Amino acid sequence: MVALSVAAVLAVFLLYTSIAGGGNPSISPSELQGRSGEVQLAGLVVGPVLGDAHAGGLRFKLKDIGGKAPSRVVVRYSGSVPDLFKVGRHVVIDGQLRNGVFVAEPGSMITKCPSKYAPKQSGDSA
Amino acid sequence: MPELGRAALVVTLGLVAYAFVAGAVAAHLGRRRLAQSAQNALIAAFFTTLIASLVLVAALLRHDFSFTYVARTTSEALPTGYTISAFWGGQEGSLLLWLLILTGFGAAAVRLNRRWARDLIVWVVPVFAAVATFFAFLVVAIASPFVTQVAPPDGAGMTPSLQNPYMLAHPPLLYLGYVGLTVPFAFALGALLSGRLDERWLIATRRWTLFAWTALGIGQLLGAHWAYVEVGWGGYYAWDPVENAALMPWLAATAFLHSVMIQEKRGMLRIWNVLLVILAFSLSLFGTFLTRSGVVNSIHSFTQSAIGPWFLAFIGLTVAVSLTLVFWRLPLLRSPTKLESPISREAAFLYNNLLLLALCLAILWGVVYPMLSEAIRGEAVVLGRSYYDFFLRAFGLPLLLLMGIGPLIAWRRASLRSLATAFRWPTLVALSTGVVLLVLGAGSSTPGLVAYTFSTFVGATIVMEFARGTRARKALGAASWLGAFASLMARNRRRYGGYVVHASIVLLAIGIAGSSAFDTVAEAKLTQGESLAVGGYTLVYKSLAERQSANATEIRATLGVQRGDKELGTLEAGKNAYTIEQQVSNEVGIRSDKLTGEDLFVIAEQIDPDGSVYFRVFVKPLVNLIWLAGLVFLLGSLITLWPDRREQRRLVARSSEAGLAAAR
Repeated sequence: MVALSVAAVLAVFLLYTSIAGGGNPSISPSELQGRSGEVQLAGLVVGPVLGDAHAGGLRFKLKDIGGKAPSRVVVRYSGSVPDLFKVGRHVVIDGQLRNGVFVAEPGSMITKCPSKYAPKQSGDSA
Repeated sequence: MPELGRAALVVTLGLVAYAFVAGAVAAHLGRRRLAQSAQNALIAAFFTTLIASLVLVAALLRHDFSFTYVARTTSEALPTGYTISAFWGGQEGSLLLWLLILTGFGAAAVRLNRRWARDLIVWVVPVFAAVATFFAFLVVAIASPFVTQVAPPDGAGMTPSLQNPYMLAHPPLLYLGYVGLTVPFAFALGALLSGRLDERWLIATRRWTLFAWTALGIGQLLGAHWAYVEVGWGGYYAWDPVENAALMPWLAATAFLHSVMIQEKRGMLRIWNVLLVILAFSLSLFGTFLTRSGVVNSIHSFTQSAIGPWFLAFIGLTVAVSLTLVFWRLPLLRSPTKLESPISREAAFLYNNLLLLALCLAILWGVVYPMLSEAIRGEAVVLGRSYYDFFLRAFGLPLLLLMGIGPLIAWRRASLRSLATAFRWPTLVALSTGVVLLVLGAGSSTPGLVAYTFSTFVGATIVMEFARGTRARKALGAASWLGAFASLMARNRRRYGGYVVHASIVLLAIGIAGSSAFDTVAEAKLTQGESLAVGGYTLVYKSLAERQSANATEIRATLGVQRGDKELGTLEAGKNAYTIEQQVSNEVGIRSDKLTGEDLFVIAEQIDPDGSVYFRVFVKPLVNLIWLAGLVFLLGSLITLWPDRREQRRLVARSSEAGLAAAR
């Protein structure tokens, strides 16, 4: 009977993966070239930040975090902008490349805290 | 001063290493005096860790920036409360706190149980000491809180969102939970090593596990409330890896607390229980690893630190050693009794365990999937919110239903007829509630409707159980109904405290369903005088004001709130710009309806120079039940935790016989 229950649980799992498929690859700006599918992009914000997030969209560039790769990608983003967003911060955005511009899912941006603050070890949300 | 701290930690490392080696030798060779000496070393280690901790607290309070740690986490202007909270604000300090709680718990658990479980304790000591040795090694050699530097004029300060009363309680509570799970782990391994696999290790650690589990649960709810009120994105849980890090051991511990009852009552599930404890402890180590190593893209795990590989190695070692021991003791772990029927209390507990574990492992899979896919396919793939939501529904909803079924079903074997009698009323109540809700329009979300219906079912069974128990006590001669109720609770705290905890989970489920499946959101850019309608409310943007506080410029938009024709007063939402830290934070406006538990939640997302504001407004029905659930959860846990001499004596007596039998 335990075996049956375990099988049932596994079946649910398989059901999910067959319906929803996998998630999005998480990549850095230098790996973005030539990709067309939806990805999660993690990078460092490079100025200038132009536009309005709630009217026409915010425009800025992202480059690799810590990497020496010179490649930068132009991002167009609309929706909520986290408190910590600004030039020099690390952000993670979902979206896809269209005609050389990374068009973000509205409201998908999350920021990482600057590393000079050692944050609390805890399970809080931000 | 830093020398004293460093010396105290080196001595601690020496003491726990000695307790480990001497304890193991003594237990293996049966040397009583050596075992006593190892025990004393473990207890002494608590006091030396305490000295080191006091040195750090003193340095924080004196703003002694020659301590690198103090300079990095605090500043001259930081209020005293937050200065103390910086103790667990950074990595080194939090490892020290971990060691302090660990040695404290270890010393206490060993002292409290050494009389009646001596043959077990001799092996528990070296296990505790081994875990403590790892943490002591980390704070001595890898991440010392006592590194010094030339003192800068001021420290770097604390990030504004952490300067918050929640942060005084939330992290230490999670620590108490994480570290508290070491106690059942150490006793389980002690039982495996000594071969004393009767029920005593469970009885010795039951309250410790409950305590750790309560602390972990309350800690998480505080974190969720903090996120909701302070971070201002309109939610309370985001399935972030670091949030999951605390949820996974809590789920494993929940499963353990339930399956323990089966072993106590029927001697079943012995292997399972040992495995669950090992899992819970490994997950709490893994949680620390996740937060601190920076291996996943989380909003929290920032510090790429040196302790990551050490943690991974220690987790690997823990799992390997534990599983080897389980395998070695398999013959002793065989249960004398078997499951008799798939419809019985035992079986219901088993399903509950499988579902909890399935949920826990599905979350674990989601957390490690980016790392695994990176290793295998060379590309990290992230599983998003929909993944977790799917499994929360697939496993969480049946779990909710089982919570109503389990406690009412008979042990060993239940007949279908008895089931029909027991569940007639709750089923009727639940189904009619479901139909009424459907008519009222709750059909917009099927999972939400199912959650409401199941919650009603469980709620009805709990009420029925209390009513039945109280009536029985009244019939036995209690003076009043209230007296009957009180004596019912007092006589069986574990059972009725458990029901209270179940009631809190029902509240939690209703709150989550209400606020996530039936919420409404609207957003618009408003100039002064314009209004926005959402979920029956009308908000009018009235004015914008700017004021200067001690450390920030505060901009606030004032909104008038109406519901129908009724004026409900005003609400403020805006932003704080922190001058020194150069950070902006959202300050949300929340209006809670005390009667319905509904929140109106306003974020001023963007404030333009011309005074127009982009608002984002949520209406979250029943969300306040989540916070109420926290209080009820605490109440239920306290009822269950409250010392019960009679029960403890009974359990000790029963298992001592078993222990003696096993020793012969």
